Amino acid sequence: MEEKRTSKQCGGVLPFFIGVLASLIIGWWVFPQVIYSQKTQPVDFSHKVHVEGEGMDCESCHTFMEDGSFAGLPSNEKCAECHEDMLGETKAEEVYVTEYLQKGVEVPWLVYQYQPDNVYFSHMAHQGFECTDCHPDVGNSNTLPTYYENRISGYSKQTMKMWQCERCHAEVGTSNACYVCHK
Amino acid sequence: MGIDRRTFIQLVTGGVVGSLFTPVIWKSLDDASIWSQNWSWIPRLKYGAITEQASLSKFGASPCAEIVKSVGGSPYLTKGNGENEMSKGGVDPISASGPQLMYSPSRINGPMKKVGDGKYESISWEDAEKMLSEKLAAVKGQKGKLAVVSGDNTGTTSEVLSGFATEMGSSDCYLMPSEEQGAAVALSSMGGKGQIGYDLDNADLVLFVGADAMDSWGPVVRNQRVYSESRPTGGEITTKYFYAGSFLNNTAAASDKWIPIVPGTGAIFCLGLAFHLLKSGASASVSDFDDFKTLVMSRFTPDKVEKAIGVTGADMAAIAKQLSSASAPVVVAGSEFGAGAGAADVIAASAVNMLLGRINEKGGMKILPNLPKAVESAIDRSELAAKDFAGYLAGIAAGKVATPDVMMVYAANPVYSLPQTEAMASALAKVPFLVSFSTFMDETASTADLIMPNPTSYECFEDAQTPYGVGAAMLSACAPVTEPMYNSKATVDVILSVASGMGIDLGYESAELLFQAKAEKAGADWDSLIEGAAFVSDSTESGSIKFAASVLSKAVSMPKGGEIAFAPYSKLINGSSTMAIPPLNVVLVSKNELYGKDLLVQVNAKTAKKLGKSEGAKVKLSGAGGECVARIHINEGVMNDVIAAPLGFGHTAWDVYSSGKGDNISKILTVSTESGTGLSVWTSSFVSIA
Repeated sequence: MEEKRTSKQCGGVLPFFIGVLASLIIGWWVFPQVIYSQKTQPVDFSHKVHVEGEGMDCESCHTFMEDGSFAGLPSNEKCAECHEDMLGETKAEEVYVTEYLQKGVEVPWLVYQYQPDNVYFSHMAHQGFECTDCHPDVGNSNTLPTYYENRISGYSKQTMKMWQCERCHAEVGTSNACYVCHK
Repeated sequence: MGIDRRTFIQLVTGGVVGSLFTPVIWKSLDDASIWSQNWSWIPRLKYGAITEQASLSKFGASPCAEIVKSVGGSPYLTKGNGENEMSKGGVDPISASGPQLMYSPSRINGPMKKVGDGKYESISWEDAEKMLSEKLAAVKGQKGKLAVVSGDNTGTTSEVLSGFATEMGSSDCYLMPSEEQGAAVALSSMGGKGQIGYDLDNADLVLFVGADAMDSWGPVVRNQRVYSESRPTGGEITTKYFYAGSFLNNTAAASDKWIPIVPGTGAIFCLGLAFHLLKSGASASVSDFDDFKTLVMSRFTPDKVEKAIGVTGADMAAIAKQLSSASAPVVVAGSEFGAGAGAADVIAASAVNMLLGRINEKGGMKILPNLPKAVESAIDRSELAAKDFAGYLAGIAAGKVATPDVMMVYAANPVYSLPQTEAMASALAKVPFLVSFSTFMDETASTADLIMPNPTSYECFEDAQTPYGVGAAMLSACAPVTEPMYNSKATVDVILSVASGMGIDLGYESAELLFQAKAEKAGADWDSLIEGAAFVSDSTESGSIKFAASVLSKAVSMPKGGEIAFAPYSKLINGSSTMAIPPLNVVLVSKNELYGKDLLVQVNAKTAKKLGKSEGAKVKLSGAGGECVARIHINEGVMNDVIAAPLGFGHTAWDVYSSGKGDNISKILTVSTESGTGLSVWTSSFVSIA
């Protein structure tokens, strides 16, 4: 009798639902804020300036080797084809030319979709997909998205998880055998 | 409304239940599992731009033109350069792991001087060059006091070394023994100049006599590519291949016909063929044709040849007939393991080619010009190739030749790879100041008084001219793919610097300028070379060659028989005379050649029975120079009374991937002197088995 009276005093099962609600709020709103740190790219690169302004396309800088392997992000050598000296007056270009190009330091770009080292991924094998199926749509943007780094795993928030690879493979009928992605 | 114990429990329970419907637990577990794979001590891949650059690999026995892929400036993969004629897009089994060899635990990471038996102390390049300069200054101008040996037959670096030796007043500059040595002596004996080559690309019948073209003879990878191009899967076969040798090696296995002959009897086989060709009317307008004909018709009759090498007269006649009826046949002679064959085999094979009218013909044997020298004082390449380093060292070992005060060893490992290894090593041990210009801590570097590490060809300028065996004079070169990983310095630059300090002008200030000058003198475009193209000359030496009948009559003698002949063979998977087994090749080593730490040698069942040995039996092989321990493997691909054994094992230096595995059969090879040429030879070795 005593216990029943106490429950009534605290609003019956209300505390339980408050706990559930608080947990949902923490889990869906606070937790994501806590688990990711935010980082900005070392150079404020504008894809739009290059795509719209200079008429370049993705393949102008993000190229494939003859054997089909992705050539990686463009290096200083590639950028220097145009930016050996300042072309414009933007602060971003000045930072790039003076802090990286002239000092011979490659820009430590933060890559949104780096996979773990034990994953083999061929861009050439995924040519039929749009770049934006996996990558942020930065082609028409003046700014680069904020990079969210998982404080526990160290990977980008946008790094594709294995279940996503497997689901897509299953949907398009590609094998999900281990060795397809893990060499 | 107060918060009592019950309220708190309800709140917590609600919180726990609620958390099950959030990603907190599941994502934390998932991320933690990923985090456990990212601990700091786990090696991480390097990221960056992926680039490709043409280069040369000098890890294998013959230079290989490659494309090296790098990520963020670090090489990680190599593939063949199909645009380069030198290796026609192939990569040999050592060069295939070239980028990994850059990171080998055997790399020497800076100059070192010996401070005790097997103990070394790191020193600066300035101190190392000063130390070398002082030793060299003490012997300058004194004959016999300085010796130089190079393991790089094709590089202009060897020209610099020989030019430096000449300027120092030394005539003791050598190349390590190779197939080219016997060929150079043979060509000289035949009155020719330049270098012997074979146009395998355009031949329709190739007879390899001893020469293991798929594993150790000449430009191995190029040979393999030519072979595969002439026999496309499902396509028309344009070239037939015959192999005469004592062991069913890779060349024999790939050939249309295998003719078993006793080791070291290639010259007898060729002269046996010459008998049938002469009998059918073949001739050549050469000054000593009559002497040659008399020699062959009297001493190499079918019955004598059959008694000596076991091939019947009818079989010899059939082979001779096939050679005669082919439109572009060529005969190539050499050793089964890339060295030690002498000149007689090449002269005898050349004689067959002459009788067939195949000298300087398309698809035949070519007499190629040497490319112009870049270093004026350097010894002519043919002359250098003909010099006998094994004979020189044997002389030192026997006390018949004065020991030099200083010996410089470049890109070579004579302590491990010479025949009668222990005697040769003892000769090297007598040298008061041994300098090793090695990339890896090999057996020779491990005994040297001064080590001056040479970078790999991916880390410096390098070139390669006309590897022995190719059918045209050619030149390739490369620029560095990456900065030197360790504190190494190109040997060319060391020699140029030391020479300059001693008042010797070799004509160049840097390796790059030297290689550029070489290209210019050859008529090649330097920029094209370092972009991966090969310069190829279509010229051949004018003038005829003779049969060298007088040399043949002295050099070729019939085997006594009745003994167990020793047939070493070389497989690039197991390393070469300069390289130990690359780490990535360890898994490719056959269990029939190395089982655990035991070396396996191969005999057929009949020979095994004669020896009273069964499969797996442990035996001791004894030759003139030493002993080896091995196990018996029964293989019907070996001739009667022949024991086949792989080279490349028994390293005592290098790293865990190659050291202490098997035994080094070079120890039991017996060096003898070839009559008529005076050249040291060791293809006719015999062993006793206990």
